[in-house]
Amino acid sequence: MIIIAIVGLVVGIVLGLYLPVTYPAALSLYISVAILASLDSVLGGFRASLENKFDTEIFVTGFFSNAILAAFLAYIGDKLGVPLYYAAVFAFGSRLFQNFAIIRRHLINRMHHEPDGEVRGDL
Amino acid sequence: MKSYLGKGILLAMCLLIGLILAIQVKNLDEDYHFISIKTISDLNVAIRQEKEEIEHLKALIESQENRLSEYQSAIESEGSINEILIQDIEIMRMRSGHYDLEGPGVMVVLRDSERELYEGENPNNVIVHDEDVLKIINDLKIAGAEALSINGQRYLNTSEIQCAGPTITINQMTYAQPFVIKAIGNPDTLNAAIKAPGTYAWEIKEVFGLQVESHISERIRIPKYQGNHRLQYVTIEEGENL
Repeated sequence: MIIIAIVGLVVGIVLGLYLPVTYPAALSLYISVAILASLDSVLGGFRASLENKFDTEIFVTGFFSNAILAAFLAYIGDKLGVPLYYAAVFAFGSRLFQNFAIIRRHLINRMHHEPDGEVRGDL
Repeated sequence: MKSYLGKGILLAMCLLIGLILAIQVKNLDEDYHFISIKTISDLNVAIRQEKEEIEHLKALIESQENRLSEYQSAIESEGSINEILIQDIEIMRMRSGHYDLEGPGVMVVLRDSERELYEGENPNNVIVHDEDVLKIINDLKIAGAEALSINGQRYLNTSEIQCAGPTITINQMTYAQPFVIKAIGNPDTLNAAIKAPGTYAWEIKEVFGLQVESHISERIRIPKYQGNHRLQYVTIEEGENL
């Protein structure tokens, strides 16, 4: 599973570097926040799959709704003159680290206690 | 089956993230500029114009080459190009007002309006001005007039149309209204330049009520230029451009 994720990321990055897509610089803040939100979703999905609680629907809806909500917050903040995107950055940033910490613990646990590799192969 | 679906969706999501990430990084690069669709279409228009310009230049080269080969064939067959040069000179002389000319065209008559002024209206509104004549002359030129005259004065490239009180001075001769403009060219286009809605002549007729008449004729006569053709200041530039 983790291999699929990495392959997807690499192919996406290569595609993105070669596709001639542009947008105004004013939009880059929103896109940045959206990227942060979707990264959080991916780490969350990874963590869920380690806990065998992975649900495709929750993952997909979380991915898009988090990204859209974050970008929307940034946009509203721009309009109101309050940097609301900080909320998104703090929330998703701290969740990112949390998820990462939990993933780390899961992986270490597996290495020590389940060395037969059956579950790890599924990752 | 479901796990395949899940893996496919995961792949798609990661692909999407990678894509957006790379595009975002690329967009934040200073050398990478946002190009709107309008810019693209503007550039396309500019390119098309340049291409048309190139086509024009090519057509020009071709016509000049044709002329050159005309000269050469004249030299080969008759031993001299005098004939063609004389023809060229005739055309130049016709253009520059050395001859009385005749041909199909239109005659335009401009008169002051005869309507009553409105309360407090500026009387200038109902008088033919030098500007009116100038603009109509210009419209006729646009419509392809080959020779023009105003009240019997040949209109050349150096002819002035000047306001002189209620009269107009053309080639240093002063005329009162009515002003008779004659133009030789395609009669239908010339007539349209006077009568078509939206033209300047139509506007002064319909809006200000001046009297504008235009008659098509198969034989419009335009006299030669009566002033002298001497040039005091200009000389021919020497160089390869000739």
